[in-house]
Amino acid sequence: MSRAGAERAGSDGIERLRRQAWRAFESRGLPTTRDEDWKYTDLSRLVATLGESWWTPAPETEADASAWEPLAVPGLEDARFVFVNGRLAAAPAGLPDGVRVTRLAEALQDQDEAADALGWDGNAPLASAFAPLNAALARDGLCLEVASGTRLEAPLYLLHVSAGGGAAHTRHLVRVGLGARAHVVEHFASLNGAAPGLSHPLTRAWLAEGAELIHERLLMEDKGCFHIGRLEVEQQAGSRLQSASLALPKGLARVDIVSRLLGEGAGAALDGLYLADGRAHVDHHTHVAHERPNCASRERYKGMVAGRGHAVFNGKVVVHPGADGTDASQYNANLLLSRHAEVDAKPELEIYADEVQCSHGATVGQLDEAQLFYLQSRGLAENAARNVLTFAFAEDVLSGLESDAVRRHLERAVLERLPGGAALEGVI
Amino acid sequence: MGKQGNVESLVRHEYDAGFVTDIESDTAPPGLNEDIIRLISAKKHEPEWMTEWRLEAYRHWRTMTEPHWAHVHYEPIDYQAISYYSAPKAKKDAPKSLDEVDPKLLETYEKLGIPLHEQEMLAGVAVDAVFDSVSVATTFREKLAEAGVIFCPISEAIAEHPELVRRYLGSVVPTTDNFFAALNSAVFSDGSFVYVPKGVRCPMELSTYFRINAANTGQFERTLIIADEGSYVSYLEGCTAPMRDENQLHAAVVELVALEGAHIKYSTVQNWYPGDEEGRGGIYNFVTKRGECRGARSRISWTQVETGSAITWKYPSCVLLGDESVGEFYSVALTNNYQQADTGTKMVHVGRNTKSTIVSKGISAGHGQQSYRGLVKMLKGADGARNHSQCDSLLLGKQCGAHTFPYIEVKNPTAQVEHEATTSRISEEQLFYCRQRGLSEEDAVSMIVGGFCKDVFAELPMEFAVEAGKLLSVSLEGAVG
Repeated sequence: MSRAGAERAGSDGIERLRRQAWRAFESRGLPTTRDEDWKYTDLSRLVATLGESWWTPAPETEADASAWEPLAVPGLEDARFVFVNGRLAAAPAGLPDGVRVTRLAEALQDQDEAADALGWDGNAPLASAFAPLNAALARDGLCLEVASGTRLEAPLYLLHVSAGGGAAHTRHLVRVGLGARAHVVEHFASLNGAAPGLSHPLTRAWLAEGAELIHERLLMEDKGCFHIGRLEVEQQAGSRLQSASLALPKGLARVDIVSRLLGEGAGAALDGLYLADGRAHVDHHTHVAHERPNCASRERYKGMVAGRGHAVFNGKVVVHPGADGTDASQYNANLLLSRHAEVDAKPELEIYADEVQCSHGATVGQLDEAQLFYLQSRGLAENAARNVLTFAFAEDVLSGLESDAVRRHLERAVLERLPGGAALEGVI
Repeated sequence: MGKQGNVESLVRHEYDAGFVTDIESDTAPPGLNEDIIRLISAKKHEPEWMTEWRLEAYRHWRTMTEPHWAHVHYEPIDYQAISYYSAPKAKKDAPKSLDEVDPKLLETYEKLGIPLHEQEMLAGVAVDAVFDSVSVATTFREKLAEAGVIFCPISEAIAEHPELVRRYLGSVVPTTDNFFAALNSAVFSDGSFVYVPKGVRCPMELSTYFRINAANTGQFERTLIIADEGSYVSYLEGCTAPMRDENQLHAAVVELVALEGAHIKYSTVQNWYPGDEEGRGGIYNFVTKRGECRGARSRISWTQVETGSAITWKYPSCVLLGDESVGEFYSVALTNNYQQADTGTKMVHVGRNTKSTIVSKGISAGHGQQSYRGLVKMLKGADGARNHSQCDSLLLGKQCGAHTFPYIEVKNPTAQVEHEATTSRISEEQLFYCRQRGLSEEDAVSMIVGGFCKDVFAELPMEFAVEAGKLLSVSLEGAVG
């Protein structure tokens, strides 16, 4: 295998980090369903489709704006960065005050920064099979810094377009300063007729005291695209993370979201909506680590599974020793809509402190017959009634989104995926 | 708060049932090989097919490795240091009545508060008492025989009802099922056998008291209960062991078979030696319990109160094959000092309109670590299947832990699964309210915990509910953080 990619990096320090990371990945190898973390997601499809060297970076692709413009969420052009196959293809002309954006390669020039930027967490509970691979191979990405006290209202929009033909390892770093507020939208989509490929983004975020990050993640890639993505957030005292993962891929997708509450009074709210139909496979793993006292976390993941779709939700809340005053709740609801679909849910709690309030709930079920009957008795056709209820199930999460542009884009996408749902577009 | 010192003194209570009965044991040398298995089989005068069955299990066991996925930590077990057979020497080979039973044994039971003859009269319970692997006394045999119920040591069943044993033994938990089940299949010494014929409602609660006694002897019980069409049986299992300093391994297998319309109720109170406050000693309890609802409308209920053992690894499960069959799991588990428990259930829904209920209450105190691990699986054919799971944990103390690992796998769009779990501690407000009404702190805690466990205790037969309540309040005295 070509290690050259990993070793070609600039300075010695970075090269060493890259090599360490590669070895860490190589020694562990591709996870199998015998790994507890990958019990329900079989990656042999990845190797079967992309070959033994599935991680080989995709070639540089010259995609012009007309190819990806139709994929973009309208209304977010002002602060839009576009990546094609993991390489920056377009950037906005200007940025709001208090925001500094550099490219990953540039950020890595700074040795101290590099260690942070390329670090992956070797801690057993947070260890990931793919984080070291990303550290070893990520060539491009953004380092977004929001200065202390800066409160951004409009979102920074990162559109990732997959053209396929290899793997796109991107890595973004987000630093939100003291009391600052940032809103980042990461959107993943496929070019029309894209070749099979792997999209492998990783975002690390650091929230300083009192900082706030709103992170919305849209996953709308096509059938041939495998997606393995990760968001890791470290939160200092009084900081707030509001994350939404909205996954409607047509291929295989795995998303890991990790929030470490490292300062007192930090809070995390994780929302998720997933739709797996056709032969789609959507796997979410969330990990909220309450490492300090008096932190709060709330989680709500809802999923719709139809066709031959397969959805996996694994939510983990860990309350570390001494994290008294923890308040954690987690909720996962699944609508199983077809004979051939499958849902696997595993809501986990690990608690090592006693002054805590923790709860979780998980359900798998169908639309309520009584509600269906009611809508039909009001004159809706059965299919329309089903769509109204399914949409309402999703809207519960969508209505909480910070960005209206994102919400509208997703509402349309969900309706398009419901059988005959387009008819509802005008109504809702 | 600020009562930590006081609390610790209250938590530290001696193990009530800690004493060793001085009886000569007929013990095999430590270690495990094919000869030992042949010896066990020969000692029990088993037929050739049984010996072969054991040997096959042993050969498979040798290819397996001990599982380590459970959320528990312990020193590696040296399986060659354990003695796999121990039988108390009785005056005759087969005592016909209580008079013939070794008086030392009877004394032991009396110390445990279960005098056989008293129970015979007062409780109306037939006791098949297992003392270090061999059943020494069985009562109420005639009364059960009248009803056609077979209730006897499994070694006797192998001799007298080979057709039933061959048909059902290992049919629910195959010898290859898991490491500990394979080991048990190879070396099981004794256990109970129950067969309830068609349409018979067993006239009394069946109960067995297991007790581990001889030094260095693992206890490998094998229980097989078959409820034929339309029958009902309630089986009670209670355990207590003398205080010892070495870890002892217990790897039991319990198999239940419920045919059409049958109902089996299996209740356990487990109070084995949990080790001392420093976490030294205590029983390793690695048990495989599984029931199959084979017929339509059959039902299996597991109820357990687990307060003992240093380490518990136990998942009483139901495989719901028959249409409209029902599986139930009610559990109270308590870990104190350095106890560790990884327990829960598996409900596998195969048939249509099958239903399962899981109620699990975990209480963790001291340095105790407790995990609920459960699986609810709805297979493709399980139309209209339903499950509801409720897992609550109560934390008492700064160093303890409570964990929940539920697995939900659904492949049928008409199935409904609901899981909820909460973890919290006894609130200061609740305590304050009780104290302010004049209750002592221990009484208040005991009352609150009693309320917490009420749903499970309600499922226990009367005699057990009383014992369980007592056990819990003794184990928890003052454990308020």
